[in-house]
Amino acid sequence: MLGEHLAQALTPLNVLLALGGVAAGTIIGSIPGLTATMAVAVLVPLTFTMDPASALILLGAIYTGAIYGGAYSAILLNTPGTPSAIGTTFDGYPMAKCGDGNLAVTVACLGSVVGGLVGAFFLLTLSPPLSEVALAFGPVEYFWLAIFGLSLIAALSEGALAKGLMGASLGLLLSCVGVAEISADVRLTFGSQTMIGGIEVVSALIGLYCIPVLIDLVATPDRHLKVESEQRGFRLSEAIPIMWREKINVVRSSVIGTVVGILPGAGGSVAGLVAYAEARRAARQGQKYGTGEPGGVIATESANNATVGGGLIPTLVLGIPGTPPDAIILGALLVQGVRTGPQLFESQGSIVYTFIYGLFLATLLMLPVGLLVGRYAYKTVVTLPKALLVPSVAFMTIIGSYAIRNSVSDVIIMISLGAVGWVLARFGIAASPIVLGIILGPIAEQGFVQAWTIGSATGDLAGMFFGRPISLAIILFTLFTLFLPLLQARIRARRMPNAE
Amino acid sequence: MQSDAPTTEGRDVGGLVAAIVLVLIGAIALYDTTGYADMDSVVFPRTVAIALILSSLGYIVYAILRRPPAEAHNTGSTLRRVSLVAVMLVSVAAMPWIGFVASGIVAFLCLILVAMHDPWTWQKAIVYPLVGIAIVVGFFALFRYGLLVPLPKGRLF
Repeated sequence: MLGEHLAQALTPLNVLLALGGVAAGTIIGSIPGLTATMAVAVLVPLTFTMDPASALILLGAIYTGAIYGGAYSAILLNTPGTPSAIGTTFDGYPMAKCGDGNLAVTVACLGSVVGGLVGAFFLLTLSPPLSEVALAFGPVEYFWLAIFGLSLIAALSEGALAKGLMGASLGLLLSCVGVAEISADVRLTFGSQTMIGGIEVVSALIGLYCIPVLIDLVATPDRHLKVESEQRGFRLSEAIPIMWREKINVVRSSVIGTVVGILPGAGGSVAGLVAYAEARRAARQGQKYGTGEPGGVIATESANNATVGGGLIPTLVLGIPGTPPDAIILGALLVQGVRTGPQLFESQGSIVYTFIYGLFLATLLMLPVGLLVGRYAYKTVVTLPKALLVPSVAFMTIIGSYAIRNSVSDVIIMISLGAVGWVLARFGIAASPIVLGIILGPIAEQGFVQAWTIGSATGDLAGMFFGRPISLAIILFTLFTLFLPLLQARIRARRMPNAE
Repeated sequence: MQSDAPTTEGRDVGGLVAAIVLVLIGAIALYDTTGYADMDSVVFPRTVAIALILSSLGYIVYAILRRPPAEAHNTGSTLRRVSLVAVMLVSVAAMPWIGFVASGIVAFLCLILVAMHDPWTWQKAIVYPLVGIAIVVGFFALFRYGLLVPLPKGRLF
């Protein structure tokens, strides 16, 4: 029976669709501003006339490719192509600056393939029990999850925790700009029409990461990235041993990606950040995350690609989309006459299993496609004259941030935030905590206000915030992440005199 | 995630100024929350504004007592930096008037000038603008006709 579904997934047409979908998704995802959601949304009408399984394979392949594609601009331009690649910039760009950009792209590709396969494996084998995890998460758990994500600031702000907290608080404040989601109050716009729509996350991301890079690029005649004297190909012989050394990191990050992907609304950005924080926390002696450590790229990329399979678990079993692209896939499923729910795997198993095997296929095809596209992207960015690279990237940031909501205001905010971000970075306040605040702000606020309302209504606020087992587990993890570096430093300091 | 800027000896005056500006931003945000109708809208921004003020004040005290090293000043052309941001902003502001393609081409050509550090040759003077026009028109076609994004049309022409 399963062999039959596998054979259906491997028909020449489906293989071609998976290949084309991965390639299209990878290229779209690599352009700053064009997210996986947009890639799937734009191409979904193409699938309406197709056979249901083929249509879903194409959509799954586009989604998988787009999530991976975000790594290129993260590594080569320090700008995450999609929000889920934020963590990739932390180590990917420093690697590229040292002349290891092609190694970073290869490592990102391998990590994405493994993460994607793990997510698809959980989707195939453990969908019903895992979807219960999504149901167990209430508003207060989402609030604590956002706080857990914010604890990454402490792990990454070595020596400048106060500046990290200042940046994160500013980001959280920026996330409040515009019309409040819960009560529709107009906040922090100061009468400006430009600000009334709020600060769009992807526009902010492009502005805060990309504009400062462009500002510094035009200022000096120095080359953007180090050019290698000799061609070193895909550098698979270096990447595979790195992957083997980071095997625990890969598995842990993939599982984190799957679990976070299951939670509706959390998505690849949260998954990537949480996986990065955990990889950094578990770093071995001598590993310096944030300065070009391949483990950081592996953690983020394997986690964000694992959210593809993870997000499809509640989508298929409960009809609750785990991520925004899943919502579009859910719509496509309904158009195709596929009714999601606990009985789906039995009632329409043929379509669903063919789709899942197609997802495996698309993930595997990402390896050759990703390596090839990555190699040419790297070569292009490294060799393009600065006088063409800067206007091309600047133009892409404008069109990319405009296309998200068809709003000129978003572009103005993007450029302004970029300039402010550059100034703040000169004073030691990095872009990442601000971005983290902007991304996690709405999740934290919604969870906090809803939990506050429920707690107030039941007369048990403390119990609501601190009395639920999953909340307690997340709080403990957060405290662990926050205080472990301090504890390790103390232990090291105590051991030092003995060693002498 | 740490700042790109290397550090130098001396008091972190830039950091102190940034912290003072952020305290002011926090205070303005706190004041803004007094005008909201619903308590649900107030609680989160107010908490965050207080966190911003406290963390900034914390850094001010730390910078005064511990004297952390200052961030180094950047080398390079300030004029080019300001020009880049100005060209991008002006081109976006002009978009509703002269349309996406015209503003995109003008911005691209201006940014070539801003980013050009090598000596000009006849070949570069011909090829670079042509490449720019091809990129703008190519992306316009992709977004307008491929991805069906309604890019702004000009009011003047």
